[in-house]
Amino acid sequence: MTSATSGTTGRYLVLLEDDWSGAANELNRVAGIRAVDSADAGVAAPLWDADGLVLRELGVALVSADPEQVTALTAATDRPGPITLVEPERIVRVIANPATDTATRVDESTFSWGLQAVRAPDSKATGKGVRVAVLDTGLDLTHPDLEGRTITSMSFVEGQEVQDGHGHGTHCVGTSCGPRKPSDGPGYGVAYEAEIYAGKVLSNEGSGADGGILAGISWAITNGCRVVSMSLGAATTPGAAYSRVYERVARRALTRGTLIIAAAGNESERAGGTVAPVGHPANCPSTLAVGAVDVRGAIADFSCGTVDTVGAVDVAGPGVDVYSSWPVPTKHRRISGTSMATPHVAGVAALVAQATGASGYELWARLAQTARRLPLPSTDVGAGLVQAP
Amino acid sequence: MLVPVVVAVDDERLVEMAAVVDALRDAGLRVGEVLAAAGVVTGTADSDRIASLSAVPGVVSVEQARTIGLPPPDSSVQ
Repeated sequence: MTSATSGTTGRYLVLLEDDWSGAANELNRVAGIRAVDSADAGVAAPLWDADGLVLRELGVALVSADPEQVTALTAATDRPGPITLVEPERIVRVIANPATDTATRVDESTFSWGLQAVRAPDSKATGKGVRVAVLDTGLDLTHPDLEGRTITSMSFVEGQEVQDGHGHGTHCVGTSCGPRKPSDGPGYGVAYEAEIYAGKVLSNEGSGADGGILAGISWAITNGCRVVSMSLGAATTPGAAYSRVYERVARRALTRGTLIIAAAGNESERAGGTVAPVGHPANCPSTLAVGAVDVRGAIADFSCGTVDTVGAVDVAGPGVDVYSSWPVPTKHRRISGTSMATPHVAGVAALVAQATGASGYELWARLAQTARRLPLPSTDVGAGLVQAP
Repeated sequence: MLVPVVVAVDDERLVEMAAVVDALRDAGLRVGEVLAAAGVVTGTADSDRIASLSAVPGVVSVEQARTIGLPPPDSSVQ
């Protein structure tokens, strides 16, 4: 017997590998489920006398399973064979207003709300083998949460070491590549097994110039980084042209398999009626510009928007009250900004790159394709809130 | 006045980047770094020489480098 939790039927959908003809036998062998194969049934047999039905043409089986059998099926997904995914069969309803099912209070005892919002904890991807460059104020290389990680670093700021004397860079590396199970507090890192490339392009005082940033991008491309996270920018004015230099570089990066993800900027004051345009260099068409949403899925008051024919916000990420790492002795801190939304997107991009092998333009397309649509203007959130694969 | 500049080089001319860099130097660029992977040359130049830098064959655009700043570390919005 199975008991249905809310919204599910108590049956399970089992996703099967393509072109597998022995699925019914395998379900029986693994979990003792007596399933009928649709290709063999042929007659209007009482199919539901069986424990399950294999829909051969869909590559899916619908089965009744007790908890022990569900455990056996789930274990089989990690082994070679036709069973690749098990999930509860859902009851389908008319789509309600998504805003009503977004809890305003999220339990952050295990994972930060940002990780939960991009569904990172539900993903099997870890970012392993994917190189993620974070171009920022550097990184606290002594932070205990990053112990044992593969870190390559380089300073592009004259006279300053990579060691982060500001904090911003350490926060951004934490969100994109930090841990899921730190020694204290909740997990907050999206691509927790990615290879970290920390490029210091902003000084300990928080300032940098185009030359150093472009040098950092060049370093990331040369090192084969699939993802470049840039939580930096300069305010622009409505109608201002985007940088043709950065646009050329971003396009070149995409064709070489490097996706540049940049913060849209924090210059809006939406409560006061002001939406500021996307900043430089996020306003270049070939950089993926990221806006910020809060825990309720609402646009952040400060988040820049699309106000021109160019300079579009492409996707959104969690960017209000974001918990992540900070240089010791503080260790962790909660701050807001499109700077915090950007590394969430970069981390998800690393997970997608690992799970699908996608890079460059294809990686961009997959992020947009799988983003969760929000009931907000596309001028504020683009395709919506990015989701882990 | 000497200003920091960033110069983007045409994709087709990247194979002869060294020649483009030489021509930029002749046109008044004090070359800082040649970023081959990005196809960019950085450096400084007199602000009245920017037009002549733009005219160098293989150059697609020349821009005065911008400065980017973060709020101080104790700011709640970054």
